[in-house]
Amino acid sequence: MAASGQLPLAMVGPDEVARVARVRGDADLRQYLAELGFVEGSEIKVISRAAGDVIVSVKGARLALNRSMASRVTVTL
Amino acid sequence: MAETTIGLAGNPNCGKTTLFNELTGSNGYVGNWPGVTVEKKQATWRQDKSVTFVDLPGIYSLSPYTPEEVVSRDYIVGERPDAVINLVDVTNLERNLYLTTQLIEAGRPVVVGLNMCDLLKESGDVVDAAALSKRLGVPVIEVSALRNTNLDALVNKAVAAGRAGKVQPGAPCFSPEVEDALGRIAQLISGSCDAHLARWYAIKVFERDAEAVKALHLSSAQLNQAEKIVRAVEESRDDDAESIITSDRYDWIGEVMAACVKKAPKKLSMSEKIDKVVTSRVLGLPIFVAVMFVVYYIAVSTVGDWGTVWANDEVFGEGWELFGMAIPSIPAVVEGWLTAAGASDMVSSLVLDGIVGGVGSVLGFIPQMLVLFMMLAFLEDCGYMSRVAFVMDRLFRRFGLSGKSFIPFLISSGCGVPGVMATKTIENEKDRRMTAMLTTMIPCGAKTPIIALVMGVLIGGADAWWVAPMFYFLGLAAIVVSALMLKKTKMFAGEPAPFVMELPDYHLPALKSWWLHVWERISAYLKKAATIIFAACVIVWFLSSFGFASWEGGDGSFGFLASLPGAPEYSADYSLLAIVAGAIAWIFAPLGADSWQATAASINALIAKENLVSTFGTIYGLGEATEGDPVMWQAFAAMFTDGAGILHAGAMCAFVAFNMLDAPCFAAIGTIRRQMDSPKWFWFAIGYQCVFAWCVGLIINQLWELFVLGNFGAWTVVAFVLLAGMIFQIARPMPKTERSDEKVLAQLA
Repeated sequence: MAASGQLPLAMVGPDEVARVARVRGDADLRQYLAELGFVEGSEIKVISRAAGDVIVSVKGARLALNRSMASRVTVTL
Repeated sequence: MAETTIGLAGNPNCGKTTLFNELTGSNGYVGNWPGVTVEKKQATWRQDKSVTFVDLPGIYSLSPYTPEEVVSRDYIVGERPDAVINLVDVTNLERNLYLTTQLIEAGRPVVVGLNMCDLLKESGDVVDAAALSKRLGVPVIEVSALRNTNLDALVNKAVAAGRAGKVQPGAPCFSPEVEDALGRIAQLISGSCDAHLARWYAIKVFERDAEAVKALHLSSAQLNQAEKIVRAVEESRDDDAESIITSDRYDWIGEVMAACVKKAPKKLSMSEKIDKVVTSRVLGLPIFVAVMFVVYYIAVSTVGDWGTVWANDEVFGEGWELFGMAIPSIPAVVEGWLTAAGASDMVSSLVLDGIVGGVGSVLGFIPQMLVLFMMLAFLEDCGYMSRVAFVMDRLFRRFGLSGKSFIPFLISSGCGVPGVMATKTIENEKDRRMTAMLTTMIPCGAKTPIIALVMGVLIGGADAWWVAPMFYFLGLAAIVVSALMLKKTKMFAGEPAPFVMELPDYHLPALKSWWLHVWERISAYLKKAATIIFAACVIVWFLSSFGFASWEGGDGSFGFLASLPGAPEYSADYSLLAIVAGAIAWIFAPLGADSWQATAASINALIAKENLVSTFGTIYGLGEATEGDPVMWQAFAAMFTDGAGILHAGAMCAFVAFNMLDAPCFAAIGTIRRQMDSPKWFWFAIGYQCVFAWCVGLIINQLWELFVLGNFGAWTVVAFVLLAGMIFQIARPMPKTERSDEKVLAQLA
């Protein structure tokens, strides 16, 4: 997959809408995030962001992620 | 009529607890699932006692990654309830249906309850329940757990489904290729499991879920054949089996959503607008500080304080008035009864000094605690606390703690027992243990008399507005220092688990669930007061009232001191308590608090922290004097004044610091034991608390002696060594851990 236009979720600004490109981490973590709605292609809206910690809206639910977690989710804008 | 058991399953925050409380009145049994610290709640239906509900933990899926998930699926597949009610948060349907599709496969009749339909209407979205029911192949009922609408219909459907015993086939979630593979696997294992679980196990085999498949005892030939089928699909999809199942489920759910839900045009919801402000980088922390200031101002300084004064000074003190009618205090009433019944001095002393006095001092905290817990539960139930956890995470991470630790700390400022209990929402085991270990260092309600006592000596009272915040801050500082040190040990090394937390919509909590939340915490405290503290009061009374007549002219006999012939008016010096405390007082010599009285007070404080002050009252024969009484301050100061009349304020502060930080009261110790669920961890926690408290006390005392009073000795050196050791432990680099970062991350799942 082309790497252009991909960035970690931690860098997406407020009110921007992004799509999940992939999730890094071991199988358990990927599975956990998938259950929360972070699957390839799902749409994510960033509601607020502070120093890489983000609150996002995904599959209609609001989730808070800290920077370490948010940088594991790679998205396309 | 036959007994019917119904499991309640659903995502976290879907309103399941509210539903359970509505249905049962929360009259049931609360325990743990075997082998794990996951709470198990079970109770009968109010309408029909032959129907029993088992509240399963809130989960996102039935995978084997968290103890909650394992417990839930073992229950449904293994214990086979008659039916399962799946409560679904309809404002969050897509996510919730992910679990629904799995529940449907688990071989028990499922009935889906669409919860929060009222909230959905506000957003303008419309869900077609009939169409959804058709797609899922199970009954779907619209309900509102909060407003108690349609709940009986939901249960009746489930009971009917359970009695009919007909199991739905399972939603056709998967792509044709996967369905075909599942069909072949099902055939392969058909001899090894019940027919209605064939699809469930076929999916588990496909996912390579070793834990679930173990139950089938498949031969290696069967496993090899299955593996071939799975490999073929993996190759053609170029993805791993588990991801294939997950993404197929989501795709199917996406289709269902498109067909059954009409979305209103999106706008920023109220919750989203609020979140923008309360979690913002600039305003998040100040808003939180302001909210907490208001909470503690109300709980500690105004309403709660009135309640506590009323309970202590009137109900257990001098009596009070209600509408002009004089109501005598409880001790006065009891004393009356005792006199009327002709009780002996010993019995009167036991009942009045031991039981009424001891338990009364415990009950005196209830008004304040009630007010504090009501406000904290409100903040939790309305959704603000999960935002606080997120905001605090930024700050706490630097100290190696998770933002989720913060809620237990807040609750511990009322009482450590529910504080320790609140740690169970922290998923990461290391973070949870560390929080349970440190949370009681926050001064709880029972420690405030100690604060009042020392502030009385130092500044003539504890009324200044900054006194209470300062002690909370000192408690927090002790936690931070401890966390920084512990993080550098092998046991706790590693980054705190990354933070992911669902933020529920803001809503006004329903009165009843709010109250149940408060009651759960208050009753935890009450139960301890009625059992452990009650027993402890009797023991303390015995130890301090009985002893040997070893005074001048005494005959050395053993008995109730006040009744022995020739007993001095002030006989506490000869009590068993004095003997026991005197024997171990040397431990506190480096802290400058090695009188037997101070040691006895510390021992009693282990039973209940508020005993510390009342012990002084008993020992010095000050009777009813309280921590606000200058007579008490003088007695307390005198204990730390040497022959030359110099007040050793360092020793006094060391004594207070020790009692603030050491192992909490018996009640909280018991809770830590249950929470840790491992004797090794429990003893480590208690040991750490005591040793840390002792070291802090020693450092305070020795530094004061050196810098203020100019005394230098061997213990001064020890103090510097300890101080250097602490600083080294904080500053040294993190030890290497065997677990990779990824593994730590995975624990969260």
